[in-house]
Amino acid sequence: MKFTVNPASQRCPRLGRLEAFIDKPEYSLETPLVLLHTQGGQIPHVTHEVLKLITEDPQILQIPLVSMHCYHEAIRLYNGRVSEFVGNKDCLTCITVHDPSNITKQGHHMKDKVPIFTRNGKVLYDSKMYMSMIEQFKPDMYILLSDGDTNISSPNKRIAKAVESTVSLTEQCIEIHKESEVLKETFVIAPVAGGYCLKSRQKCIDLMQKNNSYIQGYLIDGLHNNGSEVEFISFAEVKPVVDLVVQNLSPNKLVAVQGCWSPLNIIKLVKSGVDLYDTSYCRILTERSAAIIFAMEPQEHSEAYEINLRQPKYAEDFQPLLRGCNCVACQGYSRGYIHHLLTVQELLGSVLIMIHNIYYMLRFFRKIRDCIKNGNLDDLEDKVATQFKLLQLDTDKDMQVVNGSVDT
Amino acid sequence: MSDPKKPLIFELVGKCTTTKARVGKMILPHGPVDTPVFMPVGTQGTLKGMLPEQLKSMGLQIMLANTYHLGTRPGIDVLRKAGGLHKFMNWDNNLLTDSGGFQMVSLLKLAEITEEGVKFQSLNEQKNEVMLTPEHSIEIQNTIGADIIMQLDDVVKTTIPDKARIEESVHRTTRWLDRCIKVHKNPQTQNIFPIVQGTLYEDLRRKSIADHVQRGVNGFAIGGLSGGESKDDFWKIVHLCTDLLPNNKPIYLMGVGFAEDLVVCCALGVDMFDCVFPTRTARFGCALLMTGQINLKKNTYANDMNPIDKDCSCNTCKKYTRAYLHGIVTDLPVACHLLTEHNVAFQLRLMRTIRENILNGTFVEFVQNFMSKIYPDKNYPSWIRDSLDAVHITLL
Repeated sequence: MKFTVNPASQRCPRLGRLEAFIDKPEYSLETPLVLLHTQGGQIPHVTHEVLKLITEDPQILQIPLVSMHCYHEAIRLYNGRVSEFVGNKDCLTCITVHDPSNITKQGHHMKDKVPIFTRNGKVLYDSKMYMSMIEQFKPDMYILLSDGDTNISSPNKRIAKAVESTVSLTEQCIEIHKESEVLKETFVIAPVAGGYCLKSRQKCIDLMQKNNSYIQGYLIDGLHNNGSEVEFISFAEVKPVVDLVVQNLSPNKLVAVQGCWSPLNIIKLVKSGVDLYDTSYCRILTERSAAIIFAMEPQEHSEAYEINLRQPKYAEDFQPLLRGCNCVACQGYSRGYIHHLLTVQELLGSVLIMIHNIYYMLRFFRKIRDCIKNGNLDDLEDKVATQFKLLQLDTDKDMQVVNGSVDT
Repeated sequence: MSDPKKPLIFELVGKCTTTKARVGKMILPHGPVDTPVFMPVGTQGTLKGMLPEQLKSMGLQIMLANTYHLGTRPGIDVLRKAGGLHKFMNWDNNLLTDSGGFQMVSLLKLAEITEEGVKFQSLNEQKNEVMLTPEHSIEIQNTIGADIIMQLDDVVKTTIPDKARIEESVHRTTRWLDRCIKVHKNPQTQNIFPIVQGTLYEDLRRKSIADHVQRGVNGFAIGGLSGGESKDDFWKIVHLCTDLLPNNKPIYLMGVGFAEDLVVCCALGVDMFDCVFPTRTARFGCALLMTGQINLKKNTYANDMNPIDKDCSCNTCKKYTRAYLHGIVTDLPVACHLLTEHNVAFQLRLMRTIRENILNGTFVEFVQNFMSKIYPDKNYPSWIRDSLDAVHITLL
């Protein structure tokens, strides 16, 4: 599997291509690309059978180790690839350590070990254990084990520790990777640690240089501890870090971020040169009963940025979530029906919202790539930014209503 | 025989020459239904996370929804504005709704039955007293728009021995049937089925049937069973009812859906069944097999690389091992969807197998083999042995 950058495109934003997959030579995926976030290999609320109704295009499943730890015995006996084990051999796979849709607990550090918080408690992974799991999974790509436990408020000591551990874990993992026959063709993404300290980021990149030839992509790790708060991170804060990392990596390496970034920040990250994302934001939206419906096309009218289907005003609204949307949910089901399903706590409510959100996120990334090709990504950014502002105004208004400070 | 304006045409396609089992084709306003049929229950206008698109591709021809729940939420106004439940839930195959009476008596402790209807305390915030009358039940069911709707009946628990009360319920059920038929607004597109009552008293069942068959309805339901009575009592009543009911109309046995019950009751001549069990049990990690059920939560399946059932062709069995499902059942909602798909597919396959064996003239052998697989030690429960004996099947 390899990553190639479109030679005609500038450094930021840029177009690229992932191709030459081990047993799927016909697949070719364009970047900027969004991985399908899963838990235990399942997109939340959407089975692989339903995924086929959303898209027939090749996709990469993002499978967090934390959600797969329970299979550490079974996968050894299984002897197949993880894509098949989780029920979708047509998909490509990327193993990550943590689940970007859940907050990762902080602390619990130990030398050369990374704590993973499974539903049955804490498990400490060292490089040997981790790489043994990766060899059993046989994914198409994976992220090396790292200490990504930093965020904007991390003290320097923690940042220094995170860089030190990450560099050491990376070296250990790569040593094992080099010797591994089954991982010969597997795409390696190495984490860059260093929190919001530019010096530490630079140091981390420098220390990883000697293994650069074994690494096909880099993850800008340690920007946050995952979970829904990532949506509200201000881009101004992450920009210096992203710019530094992107400028210091060889241009032929894939650059990834993880987490529930808002669509507006995704555009900004794309403009800074980030190639790879995930759909964990769709889960966050769906869990709060929200569907994204912001307009993407210049002539498209915008009703809202997102709508919350729990609101009583949708009880007798028989329109689809988004008029003109071609997803299965919008083709056959109304806001009123979804509102009913949510009210009576039926599973299908979240299924329908998630179908739309995933479909819409895939469409959003297609739109981003088109805009890069046509050189009008700024227009898309403006369009989304205007609608996002309206959402914030609405939210503020709601807050004021809750606080009783709005004059009627 | 086939009047184009009739919302139900029932044609017998084949009959078992030994037992009372039969295969039929029932044409309803939203398409054909092959009988004997099992109808999964989509209480609130949805079936456990499954998309109607999936259910259709599995070959599901009819499902059930509950009037009491739908009348409460989303409520009759929303359903009317939505243009009925078929449209609201995007299901253009057939629907059947119950009357709401059973739910009230079983769910609500405070239900009180009078000649007018069932009086109960509403579950809404006001907790006011509400009366469900036969007229109101039909009004809601007319709005929901199911292809088969049920009369409101006077439900008495089968375990209550008070014969006078049961006799009253038989007569009242017939009086309520007349009130239901009188106010039914859509006789061209919706079929009212009467419900035979009389619990375990044969004379009362005879009376109930004798009254109902005079009403010119398109099919019949056997009610008041599957409520905790002994299986030895249960089968005898089913046997009696299928003997007495006209054989040119479909017979629906309410609340029955366990595999062995379905096999026995098909042999006794029943055409339609419903039960929440196959879909409800999926949530707890239970998967159905011809030989019984397994709970995938159990540690024995943690390293089991077999599908739930190697003979099943559902998506879940084609793609997943028991070991994989073991790791996600009761943890991820999708696991519930995957098991529901298998369990619905299981029920559909069982009914298809029954129909095929009746048509091929191999139904007796099928029943014998089916039961011997469940009871390999031949320790058959008396009710299975006796009921099958009554329709001339001797177990191996």
